[in-house]
Amino acid sequence: MSRARVAIALLAIIASLVIQTTVFGASGIEPLGVAPAFITLVVIAIGPYVETEYHLLLGFTAGILADLMGSGTLGIWAMTLTIVAYASSRLRARFNEGIVLSGVLIFSLTLLGQVVFVVIGTLFGQNLLGDDSLAAKIILPAVWNLVLAVPVLWALSELFKRREREWAT
Amino acid sequence: MLPTSGNRLNRATILFVSLIAVGFIIATFDVRNDGDSVANVMREGTQSIFEPLQKGVDWVTSPIIGFVDGVSNLAGLRDQNERLQGRVRELEAQVLETGALEERVRQLEAIAGVKAPQELPTVTAKIYSSGPSAFDNARFIDKGASDGIVVGQAVIDENGLVGRVDLVSAHDARIRLIIDPLVSAGVRIQSTNETGVVTGRGDGPLRLEMFRATLPVSRGDLVVTDGSRFPPGLVVGRVTEDATAEVGFVLRTEVEPAANLSQVDYVKVIIGWTALDADLQDGVIDTSVSTTTTMPPGTTLPSPTTLPSQTTLPGAGDG
Repeated sequence: MSRARVAIALLAIIASLVIQTTVFGASGIEPLGVAPAFITLVVIAIGPYVETEYHLLLGFTAGILADLMGSGTLGIWAMTLTIVAYASSRLRARFNEGIVLSGVLIFSLTLLGQVVFVVIGTLFGQNLLGDDSLAAKIILPAVWNLVLAVPVLWALSELFKRREREWAT
Repeated sequence: MLPTSGNRLNRATILFVSLIAVGFIIATFDVRNDGDSVANVMREGTQSIFEPLQKGVDWVTSPIIGFVDGVSNLAGLRDQNERLQGRVRELEAQVLETGALEERVRQLEAIAGVKAPQELPTVTAKIYSSGPSAFDNARFIDKGASDGIVVGQAVIDENGLVGRVDLVSAHDARIRLIIDPLVSAGVRIQSTNETGVVTGRGDGPLRLEMFRATLPVSRGDLVVTDGSRFPPGLVVGRVTEDATAEVGFVLRTEVEPAANLSQVDYVKVIIGWTALDADLQDGVIDTSVSTTTTMPPGTTLPSPTTLPSQTTLPGAGDG
């Protein structure tokens, strides 16, 4: 059961990487000039379906792949998404307490991810604090993730439920 | 949904700390080795694996995104059309003046025995993906080493300088945009010929610093590359704020990039010129010593006489 869930989560992460770098990248969808942090959203959203250790490993894997597909220092996204995965694992139970709280958690965890990325990136010489649109690039992805959370949470829940039904029959 | 347990969280905390430590080591290793070959091989490998998926998704979604963009920008396009018509009329008048000046330049060059500038070869490429976050100013193009692209080459669009190539694999390459805080370019103000450096700020206008400026810089002044890291004469952008040179102070102002970096789909990579050429011209590199720089098959280093300061290039000139 666990392996199937992890496989689905891994596929979701790979899909999120492709979507982030195409649909939400290059001349794609960037409302107000800033794209959603789609990979962060998927890392948060898989939390309730996989065990904590797997969640951390998946967060780290998503991060290292994001690092390899970007132009920054290797390991920054890996650390960032591991921290996001850890925080969302600790808050896993809260995701069952209603849609409003889930929304607040996704907004807060995305914001945490963006802030952590800026702090770690700056420590490793990425000069992110010198970015003119720093505030927008931290806050707007969290807002867009709030909007995208509805379809993403629904899609992942359907995917995992279908898989469980297949296992049951 | 999965339950939580204290024991699992303790094990998870140990794993969490371990993963952060691994990430820290990887980052330190990468910074200390400044993008060494191992990291680059891993980047190229990952990009090669994801490239077909990215190109497929881009192929499917770009017409839809383009249509949505077009509809949402319809009102703005009407105003833009009027503004552009006015600009066309201005430029037509300038072309007439430029024609006369070009004739004079030709005559002067003939007298001085200087060869006429030649267009440098370029490769047209499509941008198919970007970096994975809003902070990442990288773009990936569908042409690579097999098309003559090497690290350091300038990338332009019809308006001006877009960035430079900073990673190349066989069939694709990564561009770092000029707005990236880690990218700087040597430039000169076309009207005064004074030189300075522009540096990206992540978004919006570039920072222009002129360390030995004697003349003021005015809003609207055209800024072009000076030929140190990029081929000379490429349009970088226009100055957005007046600034005056004061003794003992660095002249600082802003430059709006000429290229529309958020909308660029197709670019040209100038494959006939790299920063190495400028070094060869300046005598920084001793040509008697063999260098390990990899040049693609068919790429020739132009001799100093074939690179005059006013080389004509797409995206170059008074745009």
